[in-house]
Amino acid sequence: MLDSFLMGLELAFRLDTFAMMAVGLVLGMVVGALPGFTTVMAMAVLLPLSFFLEPLVGIPFLIGVYKGGIYGGSIPAILISMPGTGAAVATTFDGPALTKKKQPRKALEMALFSSVFGDLSSDIITILAIGPIALIAMQIGPPELASVLFLSLVIITITGGGVFVKGLLMMTLGLFISLIGQDPIGALSRFTFDFFAIKSGIPLLPMLIGLFALPEILLAVEKKATSALRQKLDTKEGGPLTWGEFKRCFRTMCRSTVIGTTIGMIPGVGQVVAAFMGYAAAKNASSHPETFGKGELEGVAAAEAANNAVNGPTLVPLLTLGIPGDNVTAILLGAFVAQGLRPGPQLFNEQGSLVYAILIAMVMANILFLILGYFLVPLFAKVVTIQKGILLPLTIVFAFAGSYVFRSDPLDLIILSVFGVFGYLAKKLHFDVTPLVMGFILGPILEYSFGQTVTMSQGNIFAYILGERPITVAIIAATPVLTYYLWKRSARLRSDFGVTED
Amino acid sequence: MKLNKLISYAMGATVALGLSAGAAKAQYPEKPITLVLPLGAGGSHDLNSRVFTSIIPQYLDNAMIVKLMPGASGQKGTAHVAQSKADGYTLLFTHNFFDQLQQHVTKLPYAPSDFETVVRLNYATPSIVVLASSPHKTLKDMLDWGKANPNKLKFGHSGNWGAIMVPGAMLLSEASVKATLVPHKGGGPTMKALLSGDVDFTMAFPSVIGAQGNKLRVLASLGTERTYKDVPTLKELGYTPSVGLMNRIVMAPKGMPADRMKKLRDAFAAMQKDKTYGNMMKRLGENTELMQGGEYEGVRLEQSKNYEMLVKSITSK
Repeated sequence: MLDSFLMGLELAFRLDTFAMMAVGLVLGMVVGALPGFTTVMAMAVLLPLSFFLEPLVGIPFLIGVYKGGIYGGSIPAILISMPGTGAAVATTFDGPALTKKKQPRKALEMALFSSVFGDLSSDIITILAIGPIALIAMQIGPPELASVLFLSLVIITITGGGVFVKGLLMMTLGLFISLIGQDPIGALSRFTFDFFAIKSGIPLLPMLIGLFALPEILLAVEKKATSALRQKLDTKEGGPLTWGEFKRCFRTMCRSTVIGTTIGMIPGVGQVVAAFMGYAAAKNASSHPETFGKGELEGVAAAEAANNAVNGPTLVPLLTLGIPGDNVTAILLGAFVAQGLRPGPQLFNEQGSLVYAILIAMVMANILFLILGYFLVPLFAKVVTIQKGILLPLTIVFAFAGSYVFRSDPLDLIILSVFGVFGYLAKKLHFDVTPLVMGFILGPILEYSFGQTVTMSQGNIFAYILGERPITVAIIAATPVLTYYLWKRSARLRSDFGVTED
Repeated sequence: MKLNKLISYAMGATVALGLSAGAAKAQYPEKPITLVLPLGAGGSHDLNSRVFTSIIPQYLDNAMIVKLMPGASGQKGTAHVAQSKADGYTLLFTHNFFDQLQQHVTKLPYAPSDFETVVRLNYATPSIVVLASSPHKTLKDMLDWGKANPNKLKFGHSGNWGAIMVPGAMLLSEASVKATLVPHKGGGPTMKALLSGDVDFTMAFPSVIGAQGNKLRVLASLGTERTYKDVPTLKELGYTPSVGLMNRIVMAPKGMPADRMKKLRDAFAAMQKDKTYGNMMKRLGENTELMQGGEYEGVRLEQSKNYEMLVKSITSK
């Protein structure tokens, strides 16, 4: 094993590998930063390019696009509160607030450093522990997935800002909206009223942009319509991140990395759940949780380190079983197959050095990205120097254009507007829309895995779980304990600091 | 030559990203074509599509991009294509069970007649597999155990009324075994469920079985000829499998301009003769028996009738 690792090390250090990786990183970052384009789309479109490259150039190129894209997605989330994917939602808690405080550069750099840190550490852990991680991944079946999702929903609701009951209400609403369309197992239409356009469900992207970006614009317009337009903004994008600030967030980054790497072993839901768990844990461990949600650098670090730490372990099922866990790794599988390689246990035995070379290339991609990102961040941060009177209309254009290019369906513009108005009203009434989004994203997966569990248990679900699924039992048992602990804590904080709901 | 191609794809990719949406009107396809798979990652459709989408650009002069849309037993992705414009830029890569059988068991948000066949890419025969560590050494062992323990045998499949569920349900019904059917989002997740012991057996296609090496044991293959030299067919074991063959088909929303359809079909025909394509498919363990869309349309009509009777025979028991 050490042999193939060392050979892989030799294979990975090539100039063309690095050059194409850099191209991939920049392309991914730019595409990821454009509203309406997701990392998966960028990778799918750029996949054919890799067919003309050698495996050790083509696959690192796609890995570059992947890593660049995920970071790119956090740029609009921080600058204009526009998350392109569920994974970037947690970044909108503190990112835009920092931008308002005229510290976008700090926020973007914190996001860059914590992303690279989380990703790098998880890649290294993956390389060192690929065997054990593969074993754990095999233990995660539908019952475990369902119980983890349920636990996540509970934690997200409790640790969100504002009143617990309001959070629950939004969560339920989100779960309900996720029911619209065909049910995931039997394919029966639900709540569609035979309206063809929503048969395949409500799309996520216009909903996200509507809920997070439009209310911000409406609020800005409402607050100081005249002063905002005339306001002379600083021509500086705020100072860079200081060493002290980085050190302050270091514990949070480490914690989030552990959380992200652990969650990454569960295929499919990784990034979204990890970002929230990382954020919730940081807020909970902090001695000043009241600053979270109001422009706390630690909040950005917690979310970004956690969602990037998912990357390493998600590759494990692909490399060891040949079965990708999500759409991103499916595209990597495509790159392998088109190169005449078939990932799976066979590949690992026969071409171990190549597999290690690719893992090492991932590590190198992070370091390369740190350097590239460091020079590109100040450019993106310049966005705040644009006058509000121009930036706000521009954001609206991006919101609508982004929702439309996603799948070129005019219906998405209606969905965007409806959720925009809804998000605005929710803000006014002090409802946090995050539990709604989480319910919507995790609902269908929860439903599917729960349905599978019921089927597998032949109707006798309690006996089945108690008898054959010890991990599920442990997670379910932990749920009320954690709930009580977190609820107590948040209740105490509220009495200490007053209600921190807006 | 290679560099030129690279540049032309880079440009194609840019167009696809909408950065130069107003490009001059050129010959079809002037931007990459999206190929929707109503199935999940890592199954045999995923693998087959990755091979041919890496070769066909040479004959189409533009890229073909795979988009996975699993869920609702294939209806999610299929409905998406049914709702797309018939301009040749959105195609569906599916199989005969989703295409022709589902209409007889459920109310679909589209009709099979909303689609026409571009080509049938190839066909494949599934085999019944268990883990190498499974106590069931032969098909008979497994079915006998299933008979003795009603509902205890777990059969993992890739979606209701899909390419694994239908032949599996027929076999179980013929052997009078009551088993538990567990659905998954495509062949990839199904194989993972088998590997982690969540289900007892499944069916899989050569490209999926091949990658697992000695972790699996193949109990029997469907079809009339042996897929593996030392593994018997169902027929040899005394069962009458009337279905089992899965046709992998590329479909387009009905009403696509004839010249575009011709261009696509010609590209597939040219690709079939490509040596690299042949080699890659061989390595996956899949064949390259292309059938042109016009001819396959006749097959579809026949399938519809057969499946109607088949569904009656399964559901009446």
